Amino acid sequence: MYDLINYLWETGLNLLFSPEIFEPLVFPGLIAAFSLLIVVIWLERKIAAIIQMRYGPYYISRHTEGALQLVADLLRFLFSEVIIPKSVDKIAYVLAPIILFAFTFLPIVVIPVSKDFAAIDHEYSLLIALALMTLYSSFLLIVSWASNNKFSFIGGLREGFLSLSYEIPLIISALSAAVLFDSFNLIEIVEKQAAMGWGIFYNPLAAIVFLVVIIYSTSRYPYEIAEAESEIVIGPFTEYTGILFGLGMGISYIKLYSMSLLYAVLFLGGWEPVVWPLNLHPVLPGIILFIKAFIIVAFSVFLRAVYPRYRIDQALRIAWWKLFTLAFLSLLFSYGIKIIEVMG
Amino acid sequence: MGLLTNLVDHLKAIGTGLKYLIPRRLTLMYPEYVEKLPEGYRGYLRYDNEKCIHCSLCARICPANAIKMYRGGDKKLRPGINYTRCIFCGFCADICPTGALEYTTIQDIAYEKLEDQVYPPEKFAKGVPQPVYPEKPIFIIAKVDEERGLKYDRV
Repeated sequence: MYDLINYLWETGLNLLFSPEIFEPLVFPGLIAAFSLLIVVIWLERKIAAIIQMRYGPYYISRHTEGALQLVADLLRFLFSEVIIPKSVDKIAYVLAPIILFAFTFLPIVVIPVSKDFAAIDHEYSLLIALALMTLYSSFLLIVSWASNNKFSFIGGLREGFLSLSYEIPLIISALSAAVLFDSFNLIEIVEKQAAMGWGIFYNPLAAIVFLVVIIYSTSRYPYEIAEAESEIVIGPFTEYTGILFGLGMGISYIKLYSMSLLYAVLFLGGWEPVVWPLNLHPVLPGIILFIKAFIIVAFSVFLRAVYPRYRIDQALRIAWWKLFTLAFLSLLFSYGIKIIEVMG
Repeated sequence: MGLLTNLVDHLKAIGTGLKYLIPRRLTLMYPEYVEKLPEGYRGYLRYDNEKCIHCSLCARICPANAIKMYRGGDKKLRPGINYTRCIFCGFCADICPTGALEYTTIQDIAYEKLEDQVYPPEKFAKGVPQPVYPEKPIFIIAKVDEERGLKYDRV
């Protein structure tokens, strides 16, 4: 009997700490993303408040400058009633935000935490991550269509326009990193960067385009067009209440987080450098990756206080004229570097 | 070329944002910090029953019809005020020939009921209502500052 319990305990523990479970569920997946969500939304409000010479969230936990505000908000969302309007498509209305939330997590599954710690170590993991990222906008369209509300519909339409225009620069700029490091495997890309130097120094053009696309596709300012609060309430999530709205509010931040992780892997050297206390366990280098991603996330939310909102035609012009061209130039740039390497 | 100037402009905008990232808040955290108002501020009115000569000028000048004359037991008219109507213009205090009405610097009074804001002469003569704070506030004085715009000094 004792042996059986011991056996179950050990296998259970092993299962929990195996990369396949630990990475999507604990770090850098669900739990890490949720804690980041709580910190980042507070940080966004606080940074905007400080720049506008205000206090921001303050009265919930005064000693930490209101850091627990989001916990309180989340509890309120959790306990408030979910109202399902009569006119909505009920199944799609309830399921779409939940599936959308799940799909925004999925790219994290293929993003490795360190050399020996990845849930899925696939030859084409970069392509898998990019493909999973593009699912976001189609489910947002379902959300907006199922709501049967004009604001949701306009928000979904805007998201559709934007997603068509940002996905091409996103994929091309990511591919120019793949060309630069001669691999689609994210672990190999980081290994190459450890040997050669960070991708942002080799191909700054692709790094800039990817950064702008991160801000563009996660509807941060100045591209906060799909859920423009002063124009169309909250875009696709206008009809939602309670915890479903809470999910909708968090989704763009989760997407921002997963894209920032991919950015850190492609251009900022991933989990390198692995210094002493971090080489004790394969999951520890992930802390460096997390910090790099957090800096990108913090920068993106900081932009709220800097920019006004673009009109949709301005944003589309920027995407098709500038980002598209720059992405192609960055791809040529990567090929140029490869040619110089081969010749020299 | 346009692309390059655009990039410079964006960097400038981000730089301006970074410059303001140092906390220099202008907001006053009200119940903890309370602004001490300058002399001559037109706040709640003080009514002196002894000085009043029952002339009704205050009720006539009042542009919002907040002051109303009540006839007391001694057949004399005395002013009563309705703070739901008062616009704190101070005309009544200015026109009062004996200085029976004068303004104070008190302004932050909260009421539970609308009816509580009506002051008949007897209640009006008792004195100015005092503000209630959850804990003892820190009083400060606001000053105009060249660099910052506003500056707060402790009293």
